[in-house]
Amino acid sequence: MNSNNKTLPDKNGFFGDYGGKFVPETLMYALEELESTYKKLKDNPEFKDQFYKDLSEFVGRPSPLYFAERLTKHYGTGSIWLKREDLNHTGAHKINNTIGQILLAKHMGKKRIIAETGAGQHGVATATVAARLGLECHIYMGSEDVQRQSLNVYRIKLLGAQVHAVDSGSATLKDALNEALRDWVTNVDDTYYIIGSVTGPHPYPMIVRDFNSVVGEELINQSKELFNSMPNAIVACVGGGSNAMGAFYPFINIKETRLIGVEAGGEGVETGEHAAPLNDGTPGVLHGALSYLMQDDTGQVKGTKSVSAGLDYPGVGPEHSWLKDSGRAEYVAVSDNAALKAFHEVSEFEGIIPALETAHAFAYLDTLMKEFDKKANIIVNVSGRGDKDINTVAEIDGIKF
Amino acid sequence: MNRLTKTLSDLKDNNKKALVAYLVAGDPDISSTIELMNLFVESGVDVIEIGVPFTDPIAEGPIIQKAHDRALKNNISLESIFNMVGEFRKHNNETPLVLMGYLNTFIFYKKLIEENHNNAIDSILVVDIPGELNLKDYGINSSNINTISLISPTTKINRIESIAKNSTGFVYYVTLRGVTGASNLDVNEISNNVEEIKKHASVPTLAGFGIKSVEDAKLLSDCSDGIIIGSSIVQMIEESSKSKEFDRIGNYLTEIKKAIL
Ligand SMILES: Cc1ncc(COP(=O)(O)O)c(C=O)c1O
Repeated sequence: MNSNNKTLPDKNGFFGDYGGKFVPETLMYALEELESTYKKLKDNPEFKDQFYKDLSEFVGRPSPLYFAERLTKHYGTGSIWLKREDLNHTGAHKINNTIGQILLAKHMGKKRIIAETGAGQHGVATATVAARLGLECHIYMGSEDVQRQSLNVYRIKLLGAQVHAVDSGSATLKDALNEALRDWVTNVDDTYYIIGSVTGPHPYPMIVRDFNSVVGEELINQSKELFNSMPNAIVACVGGGSNAMGAFYPFINIKETRLIGVEAGGEGVETGEHAAPLNDGTPGVLHGALSYLMQDDTGQVKGTKSVSAGLDYPGVGPEHSWLKDSGRAEYVAVSDNAALKAFHEVSEFEGIIPALETAHAFAYLDTLMKEFDKKANIIVNVSGRGDKDINTVAEIDGIKF
Repeated sequence: MNRLTKTLSDLKDNNKKALVAYLVAGDPDISSTIELMNLFVESGVDVIEIGVPFTDPIAEGPIIQKAHDRALKNNISLESIFNMVGEFRKHNNETPLVLMGYLNTFIFYKKLIEENHNNAIDSILVVDIPGELNLKDYGINSSNINTISLISPTTKINRIESIAKNSTGFVYYVTLRGVTGASNLDVNEISNNVEEIKKHASVPTLAGFGIKSVEDAKLLSDCSDGIIIGSSIVQMIEESSKSKEFDRIGNYLTEIKKAIL
């Protein structure tokens, strides 16, 4: 398989065998409209200027690449560098994508914005950009996530958006996506759907990847500047896969850099109670794309388990499935317990409280750092900060406020 | 000849409109579904559309979603649906049967569909694929099962022709922007669009989504070759799921059938 190109997806939206457009007919025209708008704008200098201006002035980019001195000492092998997406306005990488997509929505004259959210970070990022443009905004969120990410729910409301709690199915991210798609089918004429990860039907996986690729582009320059070579590895957590894809994509042809995605192992991959489709799934169709999927032996989508709301999803972006099969990227999983341990360690070693999602990437360092010597440079993509997770972790630690 | 093709052309020859009724397989249980299918036929239903339950039915409104959930609690799979259909066919070899569902469940059971034991199933409608494509495009080859494609109010005119050509059972015109069971029918728009589709389609064009009252049924059958009713039946099934007394559904369908003749 040819993993040595960056020309994907093909014109039908496929990355190798994965991707495509599997949606009800009512949405087909909306996807075509979006694709043609994006094609027209993506290389337009004015559009790009506006995008990078917003990223710089509103988000605060570029985010630093920061040397994690104590963590590096702790492992005693290679140097560990942190890509500080947690320092972005609103606290995660999710804002990069919403800044880009709201410009598309504005260009298309859409009056109403909808989005799904798991951890609430994408909901906050969407409500934020909608507020800037004074657009009506509706966020769908599984009712279980409304509970465990209550801080973000309130932030979304403060930003003037409406939160719709979704009770159907497992009441998590997957069901929020279902409900957002249903809203879109109903209000397709005036509504723009800002998908929050590299998931969904074509052209979303491509668009979200492209907007998030600012992360990987910055990493190339920062690596040259700070350690004068390309990193030996980039480690990122994978829910739908947007923070990982944004970091990985510019490195696809830089073969000396290993690309490592860390999925949510929940109770442990071997227990079946997890959210790690690339580790323990088979190809299937969910939310408009063919990709690795957690499904049972009758083709039904399985329930997931993860301490992290943003990773608690049975599917994954199609480009990751392709990167897995082609061997260009590696995908591993770490358990809830390992992620929680890393959550505490990183907070204490580095003075950075990472999001529970991000803590999964950190947790894999326990295994990975043994594979490197002192000369190596390893980048961890710090996809977000952990303020939103304080309640969850306190509860697990038996602390009441 | 495929039962669906035959039934629809007989109706057309007699200047009659088709009544298609939907239920979800295994809601509230398999034996009730068979009982309901028989009741549909007795009440004048021409074609039965069997919903294949899926965990993530993105085109369904709350009423049909809940039915999918109830069926899944009974562990209904495409395999048990084929068994159920086999049971039904023991005493009914005339009524066309259509499976309506989501791609993931169909590709999972490729073999079962290709086999289509005793040609029990006449047609498959996959809700979440582009209208120009059919199961063959996903590696499922089944010559005796025809394709029903959806066309919606937002389908661009340049695609209508190719979608209509791809439909070998009938063209399913989705009457509204929305999920099943919604209620924002715009009869003018529907009648214009159905007329446009008919210019291109060699098979009949039926209208569905959001049809509830006898009046809706009458209005929409006037501008199409027939109608599909789903959510309002599924709602009544839910209400009778404990008592298992389904007479009301038979009466409702009889009344609709009378109105659209
Ligand atoms: C901080 C953070 N990291 C990671 C994720 C997972 O999403 P993705 O895999 O698309 O980056 C989320 C999702 O909510 C998040 O909030």
